[in-house]
Amino acid sequence: MLTAITRAFRTPDLRNKLLFTLGIIALFRLGSVLPTPGVHTDNVRRCLAEATQGEAGNIYGMVQLFSGGALLKLSVFALGIMPYITASIILQLLTVVIPRLEALKKEGQSGTAKITQYTRYLTIGLAVLQSTAFVALARTGQLFQNCREPLLINQDPITIITMVIVMTAGTSVVMWLGELITDRGIGNGMSILIFTQVVAVFPAELMNIFRASAWTFTAVMVVGVFMIAAVVFVEQAQRRIPVQYAKRMVGRRMYGGTSTYIPLKVNQAGIIPVIFASSLLYLPQLVTTLFASSENPNAVVQWISQNLVTGDTPAYMITFFLLIVFFTYFYVSITFNPVEVADNMKKYGGFIPGIRPGRPTAEYLNYVLTRLTAPGALYLGLISMVPIVALAVAGASQNFPFGGTSILIMVGVGLDTVKQIESQLQQRNYEGFLK
Amino acid sequence: MAIDTRGETADKPGRPSGEKKRTSPALFYRQVVAELRKVIWPTRKNLINYTIVVLVFVLIMVAIVSGLDALLTEGVLAVFGGS
Repeated sequence: MLTAITRAFRTPDLRNKLLFTLGIIALFRLGSVLPTPGVHTDNVRRCLAEATQGEAGNIYGMVQLFSGGALLKLSVFALGIMPYITASIILQLLTVVIPRLEALKKEGQSGTAKITQYTRYLTIGLAVLQSTAFVALARTGQLFQNCREPLLINQDPITIITMVIVMTAGTSVVMWLGELITDRGIGNGMSILIFTQVVAVFPAELMNIFRASAWTFTAVMVVGVFMIAAVVFVEQAQRRIPVQYAKRMVGRRMYGGTSTYIPLKVNQAGIIPVIFASSLLYLPQLVTTLFASSENPNAVVQWISQNLVTGDTPAYMITFFLLIVFFTYFYVSITFNPVEVADNMKKYGGFIPGIRPGRPTAEYLNYVLTRLTAPGALYLGLISMVPIVALAVAGASQNFPFGGTSILIMVGVGLDTVKQIESQLQQRNYEGFLK
Repeated sequence: MAIDTRGETADKPGRPSGEKKRTSPALFYRQVVAELRKVIWPTRKNLINYTIVVLVFVLIMVAIVSGLDALLTEGVLAVFGGS
């Protein structure tokens, strides 16, 4: 285990990638603690301590998770990676709806580049909206409900505008950092950054539980390890569809004749559906924080703030579950195209034994995929539900508002990253972590 | 890593040839179970190994990130605090 790590660091190429990723993470954390100009650092710190220690701490759980603790510090990267994730969900959903985007996607690389560009513009738009909202909340003192100290040093328009601009710029830097990791580091930038955010608030959450009661803490730890094992178990499970390649002569050489398989994971979608679902459910919270400030909120806003903001109401759980199931199917259909796979197989003389190449193969792949994704989606939904339900039954849900989601994100990204390091090690004939 | 699964593919799904029929939920459920039986689940050794690796990875990252955070927070307080 340890020798594998030292070996990873001894390979120059891999070492560079690892150090690069760690460096980006360090920059990301720096931006998350660096205060935005115009913020009264001492007051914010005092209010934050008050808010997270007290009874009201649980309300901030979700906010903390999705900003890695940066939002309530009013830092430069206050919005974190969330606007980028939201923007990419919206664009992926729109690709199905809008023909022009679909055409772009089919165009190949240049089209994808165009879509990425649109995602970036949308991110900036969302960032402007969200940062304006939060600066407004900070100005009126509603960010921390129980804290009456001024959060901003002065309230003239120039300061406010500067803050909005700085936070928006921060978001675009976060986006860039994520893309840098994808290009030159290890793993998918977006996942690594959201992983960092989850990991950053995790120790504090655990400390809170520990302080509440040592018994719950032990229970949570034991359940946590079991859940990690369960997630690993399902993530590793594969349905292997055998593929036979025909032998063929090209010139004087003989090609093919090998048999391989197409690995279809039970959870082909990975953890993306969970991230998508939880970031969509984060929106109602944003909306209510914006509109709750008015004197007499209307019925809709009231209902939302009662049912969709904290994780322990039935409405929230059901919506979350349904969203996860929907996004699992949606994401699988985006990332795995049976027709394309079948065409490729046909091109290279491959076939699934017993099934004719071409359309029947595509249909068969689709058949298996939809059957496999059903338990996959259920598993994702249930794992994200289990802690909420269990702790709500035990009456301790307030202490651990996001257990399942964060465990899924941590294990999912952890597994992916370790596997990538592993495969890079194996390219150089080294034995990795995962003998 | 070639595996011969001639026997498994022999019982290929009873797709209606030509016209499409809607699968009833009960049939769908049976098909799901049938597919799940063909899934290759990780072995116990594999599972334990991966779980430990993931745990260690997460712990290392938690250590790195919380160390960084503590340092950076102190630094920021030293520079911007106490005004």
